[in-house]
Amino acid sequence: MNDMTLTERALEATEIKFAARDVQVYYGTSHAIKDVNIDILDKTVTAFIGPSGCGKSTFLRCLNRMNDTIDICRVEGDILLDGEDIYDKKVDPVQLRAKVGMVFQKPNPFPKSIYDNVAYGPKIHGLTRNKAELDEVVESSLRKAALWNEVKDRLDSPGTGLSGGQQQRLCIARAVATSPEVLLMDEPCSALDPIATAQVEELIDELRENFSVVIVTHSMQQAARVSQRTAFFHLGNLVEFGDTTQIFTNPKDPRTESYITGRIG
Amino acid sequence: MTAESTNTGLSLYKTDARTKRRNAAEKRFRIYGMLAVGFGVLALIVLLTSVLGTGAGSFRQTFLTMPVALDAAALDKKGNRDPAEMAKVTTIGYQKILEKALIAELTEQKLIPEGMSTKDIGGLISKEAPAQLRNKVLANPDLVGQTISFRALANGRIDGYFKGRVTMESAALDSNVSPAQLELVDKMRGANLLGLGFNWGFVFDPDASELRPEAAGLGVAILGSLYMMIIVLVLSLPLGVAASIYLEEFAPTNRWTDLIEVNIANLAAVPSIVFGILGLAVFINFANMPQSSPLVGGLVLTLMTLPTIIIATRAALKAVPPSIKDAALGVGASKTQTVFHHVLPLAMPGILTGTIIGLAQALGETAPLLLIGMVAFVRDYPGAPPEGFLDPASALPVQVYNFTQRADPAFIERASGAIIVLLVFLLTMNILAIILRRRFERRW
Repeated sequence: MNDMTLTERALEATEIKFAARDVQVYYGTSHAIKDVNIDILDKTVTAFIGPSGCGKSTFLRCLNRMNDTIDICRVEGDILLDGEDIYDKKVDPVQLRAKVGMVFQKPNPFPKSIYDNVAYGPKIHGLTRNKAELDEVVESSLRKAALWNEVKDRLDSPGTGLSGGQQQRLCIARAVATSPEVLLMDEPCSALDPIATAQVEELIDELRENFSVVIVTHSMQQAARVSQRTAFFHLGNLVEFGDTTQIFTNPKDPRTESYITGRIG
Repeated sequence: MTAESTNTGLSLYKTDARTKRRNAAEKRFRIYGMLAVGFGVLALIVLLTSVLGTGAGSFRQTFLTMPVALDAAALDKKGNRDPAEMAKVTTIGYQKILEKALIAELTEQKLIPEGMSTKDIGGLISKEAPAQLRNKVLANPDLVGQTISFRALANGRIDGYFKGRVTMESAALDSNVSPAQLELVDKMRGANLLGLGFNWGFVFDPDASELRPEAAGLGVAILGSLYMMIIVLVLSLPLGVAASIYLEEFAPTNRWTDLIEVNIANLAAVPSIVFGILGLAVFINFANMPQSSPLVGGLVLTLMTLPTIIIATRAALKAVPPSIKDAALGVGASKTQTVFHHVLPLAMPGILTGTIIGLAQALGETAPLLLIGMVAFVRDYPGAPPEGFLDPASALPVQVYNFTQRADPAFIERASGAIIVLLVFLLTMNILAIILRRRFERRW
């Protein structure tokens, strides 16, 4: 853990974006998430760490109701986005997902052009009125994803032709294009090489200015590098949640300590 | 570890017994594979040579070419060139004209053998030829009174003589043709009065009766098959794709959908004749649709093709990576948008391939059509769609079956020729499937 650089990070924002209360998730009969209570702050990077199968990805996917696509998955408890229960019957998951964007583990650009990849979200949500506005959104999204300079001359070439790191940034641009309020990232760097990882991490830090970012990661170094708040999951329980600095230097729970020092996980 | 279980100490240059056995097994397996492939290729070669060898002849036909004087006194007694009046002259009248023309030509060339009757000379001409001449004249009454060069079909036996089907020996035993006629024909060929030419009539003309194999064509069958394929495509593609999308992307997984799934898989294995019985009971007896019509044939074949298309489409939909669906849902696309914007385009090559294979299967299907009356002898072309869908028609595979049922050996050649036409259509469809798949294939 020598390469961990825990810089002091001021938490300017204290506004709560997501509030989870007594969340339970069941896959059929198995109880995947138990009694999770967490407050995710606005304009903050929150990292979920924990060993494989601890439920961190499951919980992340609850935040934009991606778990709805799994028939046997059942969610109990309340998850509030800006005070509104996202599992309320009146909530359409499509609208929710426009507000809560997601970046996946494996870069998954559509097999369409770079431009169409980014423009897809704004198009289906009717965010722009004409081509010029759409062009603008595409450009600004690609700029936010630090990809504009690399692809501005070949917006018509297929998104799948980019390198892995570029593809992942394209996916981030695509997620950003719908101007979400929260960005969920499910191990966004696990398929990338260290250089691409560094680029994406830098990007995450920049995105914090505009969004609340929740990132699931297997790499504790990454959590330490990019996040301000860290949540440690173990066997479906949220074991400890606090400032990243505190979690990594002064964990309160023995399980957290065991995990970050490499004794379990 | 013991010394036996490892190869420590053994030279790599020496193959040990175990490796030898494994290599031998691999070699054996390769030989089996090559034998299997070889057997398949051999079977294909035998099939193609036999079909092509027998059937190629049907694309060439013996014709008599001669000047024919269209005698106005015989064809248009009143002289007003009114087709309605001229239609009163039957083919017998035209037959006489053709006979006369042939005898005149033979006399001029000094080819008439002694003692041969007019009937025998006229017998060289197909019974279909007068009808063709009559149609030609009725379509253009101004021809009457002129002398035109007319290409008349030769009798089937004469045609068979040039194709090796009829010999002098067989003619001696045949009441339809005599060796003397064949000798005359040989001389006529030398005088360029008679020869083989490409037979467009085989592709475009309707079927002909048992006594006129030389005139039998596939026109009605090809048109009937085409109409049925149109109906199958129009009905089964949207139905099949819609059902597949619902089952694959929207339907909950429960006992009902399981049951439906099992049934679709079973339907694909149901013998096609069962669909024919169903069609007979439902479409003809219950719904009172006309027999022998491409509409009923198309509906029956649609029922038969649907399971194939559904299975192929579901496989294609399943093969779309879930990451693409996640990506679309993740940016807030609805389920329908996800399916129509992303999943369906990616599954398109597979769907098209499945559809074309299903259509090809339907095109070659015979059994169900026999039961709904498409085995009938149809000489009139069905009309233009949509009314034409209700007219009686034949179908290519049924036409093959029909030809094989007839006594005259000339129909063996016709049947093989029809098989060639059918194979050409199937091959074209399969090539189309491959091209479409290549074209739409996208990588992700």
